Amino acid sequence: MSEKSKSLFVDCSEAATCCTKAQYDEAGFFEKIKLTIHLAFCRTCRTFSSRNSKLTHKLKEANLECCSEEKKKEWRENISKLQSEEHTS
Amino acid sequence: MPSNQLEPNKWVDRYSDYLFNYTIVRVNDREVANDLISETFLAGLKSAKNFKGEASERTWLISILKRKIIDHYRRNNSRKGQAEVKINYTGEDSEGEWLEEQVPDQFVRTAEDDMENNELGLAILDCLDSINEKQAAIFKRKTIDGVDTEAICNEFDITPSNLWVIIHRARTALAACMEKNWF
Repeated sequence: MSEKSKSLFVDCSEAATCCTKAQYDEAGFFEKIKLTIHLAFCRTCRTFSSRNSKLTHKLKEANLECCSEEKKKEWRENISKLQSEEHTS
Repeated sequence: MPSNQLEPNKWVDRYSDYLFNYTIVRVNDREVANDLISETFLAGLKSAKNFKGEASERTWLISILKRKIIDHYRRNNSRKGQAEVKINYTGEDSEGEWLEEQVPDQFVRTAEDDMENNELGLAILDCLDSINEKQAAIFKRKTIDGVDTEAICNEFDITPSNLWVIIHRARTALAACMEKNWF
């Protein structure tokens, strides 16, 4: 842990990282305290934090799904197979 | 002036997630969605000569996918005659229950909700398209697939601090892109 992050008073970039970690429930206890203290006196980060929470909410609402990696691999293979067949014919 | 070109070897990386989210809300079945996307890619390759370059690659693929979705429903409708009617209420005691089943459940999501969420989902994927490819890939793994921080770090060979900086940048770009229409 760096000297800087041991302090309870952090700069905006570290607060932003803590805020992003908090969106994924991965901010530690100490990080949450640092973030709360920082937000108490930094209006810019407060705006950022509220926008970040809104984004998390929207992402949950959208309920996005990705296709499985196996399917993607299968499609990639099919496409390159067909392409090479076309080149040879 | 036609300026768009087809790059089929990049279709899967660029568009599969978008096409998947477009399809899933319309057919509501992962397997069917996967099949339709697979058919779309193959049909796209076969008719690549007809691509004039006036629309974007993705718009063109979506137009093929739309036809595939319609075909899917046509195929299903042709099997309609095989449907069977089930009568659930045979005894006198259970006769009143049907009324309860007819009452709309307000917690059930409606088709409109799904369509609106789908539009939101596609807007998010649209915005992700416009940010750095690596950032978008890491963001998707973390946020959509919900993969562990450690696993992503190993996959992309980065440190956890790098990962959080990348996620932070991706989220900032995404929020800026979505701010106008969705916040």
